[in-house]
Amino acid sequence: MRSGIILFLYPLLAIVFTMLLSSRRRIDILVLLHSLLHIGLGIHSYVNRNSLLGIDDLGLFMFLILSVLYCAVAFYRLGYKDEHSVKDYRVHSVFLMIFVMAMDAATIAKDLGVIWIFIEATTIASAMLVNYYNRKSSLEAAWKYLFICSVGIALAFAGILLLVISQPQNPTLLVNRIDVAAISPFWLKISFVFILIGFGTKMGLAPLHFWLPDAHSEAPAPISALLSGALLNVALIPILRVDRLMRNSGLGEVAKELYLLMGFLSVFIAAVFVLKTKDFKRILAYSSIENMGLILIAFGIGSFAHQAAYLHILGHSLVKAAFFLTAGNALFIYEDKNYENLGSLLKINRGSAWLWLISSMMIIGLPPSPLFTSKFFIATALLKEGAYLQFGLLMLLLTVVSWSIVNVGLKICLGDSERKQSLNALLYLSPTALLVLASVIGVFLPSLR
Amino acid sequence: MSEILIVLFGLTLLWASITNMLGTVIKILVVQGIILFGITLLKTNHINWLSFSLIALETLIFKAILIPWFIDDTIKHNQTRREVDASVSNFFSLALMSLIFVLSFALAASAPVWSLKVFPLEFGIAFATILKGMFVIIANKKLITHLMGYLIMENGIFLLSLSAGSHLPYIVSLGVSLDIMLSVLIAVLFIKRIRSTFDDADSPQTLRER
Repeated sequence: MRSGIILFLYPLLAIVFTMLLSSRRRIDILVLLHSLLHIGLGIHSYVNRNSLLGIDDLGLFMFLILSVLYCAVAFYRLGYKDEHSVKDYRVHSVFLMIFVMAMDAATIAKDLGVIWIFIEATTIASAMLVNYYNRKSSLEAAWKYLFICSVGIALAFAGILLLVISQPQNPTLLVNRIDVAAISPFWLKISFVFILIGFGTKMGLAPLHFWLPDAHSEAPAPISALLSGALLNVALIPILRVDRLMRNSGLGEVAKELYLLMGFLSVFIAAVFVLKTKDFKRILAYSSIENMGLILIAFGIGSFAHQAAYLHILGHSLVKAAFFLTAGNALFIYEDKNYENLGSLLKINRGSAWLWLISSMMIIGLPPSPLFTSKFFIATALLKEGAYLQFGLLMLLLTVVSWSIVNVGLKICLGDSERKQSLNALLYLSPTALLVLASVIGVFLPSLR
Repeated sequence: MSEILIVLFGLTLLWASITNMLGTVIKILVVQGIILFGITLLKTNHINWLSFSLIALETLIFKAILIPWFIDDTIKHNQTRREVDASVSNFFSLALMSLIFVLSFALAASAPVWSLKVFPLEFGIAFATILKGMFVIIANKKLITHLMGYLIMENGIFLLSLSAGSHLPYIVSLGVSLDIMLSVLIAVLFIKRIRSTFDDADSPQTLRER
C-alpha cells in the first residue's frame, strides 16, 4: 500500500512543483527522479511480490517495461534541446507525468472498468504530447489520434457493458472473480469482439490503425518511444485479461481465430504501407503495427508461441524505443524526415549511424535480438500446427517490412559528406543502454520451454 | 412509456439517414438528448436530487444543449457548407439503416432466454445506434460530421448502459459520465484549435490514411 501511495503521490507533487519552476533543467530533474522512483518501485515489487497494490504478474511485466523505457526517456530528455519556451516545456512535462501515471494505473488495476478509465486518460494526456510542435501536421495527427482512439475506446466500453450483460447474476468487472459457470457464452463472444476491436484500436491494430503512423511520426522522439514501446502494451492488458475468461469459458478457439485475423491483417497493412512511405519515423510506426500484429498472431497460435508473444512484447518495446530515440538524433541532425533526401550519417555522426544500423538489425530480428528468438518460435509453432500457408504468407510479409527498414538504414547511413555534427552524450546513452539490455535478454533468456 | 420513447429514439436514426443538412443532424442530437433524459428518469427507481442533477447534466445540459450549440457555432464560425457531404446517397443510407435494425433485433432475439436480462427493444435500438454512429463516421468527409457520428455512437452506448439494468457495477456508471464529459470536452478544445489553425474545419486529410 505504501509503495502505491508513493507511486502516485510523487508525480502529483512533482506536477505542482513543475508548474512553479522556470528552469528546464530543474523540470528535467523532477521527471528523472520520477522515472528513478518508478524503476525502484518496479524492482521492489518484483522482489516482494504483490507489494505494489496487489499487482499481478501480467501487470508487473508491463510495469517493468514501462519503468525501463521511462528511465531511458528521462535521461534522453536531459540532452534533448528544442526551441520551445519554458512554458510549453512545463506543460509538456506535466502531461508526460500524467501520461505515465495513467499507464501505471492501467497496468496495476484488475477491474476492467478502472483499466478502461485510465486507458482513456492516456489518450487525452498523450494527444497533448503528440501536438507539442503545434504545427498543422502535428495538430492533425493529434486530432486523428484523439478521435480514432476515442471511437475505439467507446467500442471497448460497449464491450464492457456487454460483459456486464453476459452475467445474469452478480455482475462484476474483476475478471478473475467472474463466475464462468453462470456466464452467457453468447454475450461473452459479442463482448470480446467489441473489446478486441476497441482496445485493439489503441494497440494500433488494423482496421482502425491509421492514427498510429501520424501520431508516432509527429510526436517528439521521447514520446514516440513511450507511445510505441509502452502504451501499445498497456492497451493489450485488458484484451489478455478477457482472453483468460474466454479460455476458461471454452471460447478460446473463437478468440484465437479473431487474433489470427486481426494479426495477419495488421502485418499485411504494415507491409503494404511501409513500401509507400518516405518518412523514416512513419516507417518505424508501421513496424510497430507489424509487431503488434505479430504478437496477436502468436497469441492466436497458442502453445509455446504464447510465451514467445511475451518475449516479443519485451524485445519490441526495448528495441523500438531505442530506434525512435535514435530517429530523434537523426531528425536533430537533418531536420528532415524524408529518407530520400538524407545520407552520409556515418560520416556526419558516427554514433547515431551505428545506433541506427544496430537498431535496424535488431528490430528485423537478427541475433542477439530477443525478436530473433520470439520470431523463430512463432514460425516454428505455425509449422507445428501445420499452417504452412499462413507460415509462407507471414514470412513474405515480414521480409517486405525487413527489407524496407534495412533499405532506409543503408540510405541514411551510407554516402560521403564533409559535414560533421556532434550531439550531447546523453542522446547516445539511452538508446545504447536499451539495445544492450535487449541483447542481454536475447542471449540469456531464449528458453521458452 | 419508456418503450414509446425508445421507439421515438429509433425513429431519429431513420430521420438521420434521410437528411442532407447539418442543421437537421444538430436537431436530431437535441431530440436524442431530450429522449435519453426522459428514458433515464423513467428507468431510475430511486431518484434523489443528486442523481437527478447528474442525469440532467449529462443528457439535457451536455447532450441536448451545450454540444449541439457548440457544433452550430463552429459551423457558423467557419462558414462551413450546410450540406452533410456524405459519400453515399440517402437511399443507400436508409436501406443500410433498415438492415442495421434487422441485424440488431435479430441479435437481441437470438440470445438464449435465460441469459437475456436486457429488454430486446432497448438492446436492438442501442446496438443499431452504435452501428449508425460508426456508419456516419465512415461515410462522411467532414470533420464536424465525424464528431456528430461519434456523438450518435455515444448516445447508443448511453442507451446500452441503461438497458444493462440497475445491477451495473458503479464503475460503469462512472465510465458513462466520464466518457461523455472528457471526450466531448477534449473534442471541443481540439476543434477550437483546429478551426484557428486550418482555414476550414473540413480537413479532407483527417481520418484518411496518408
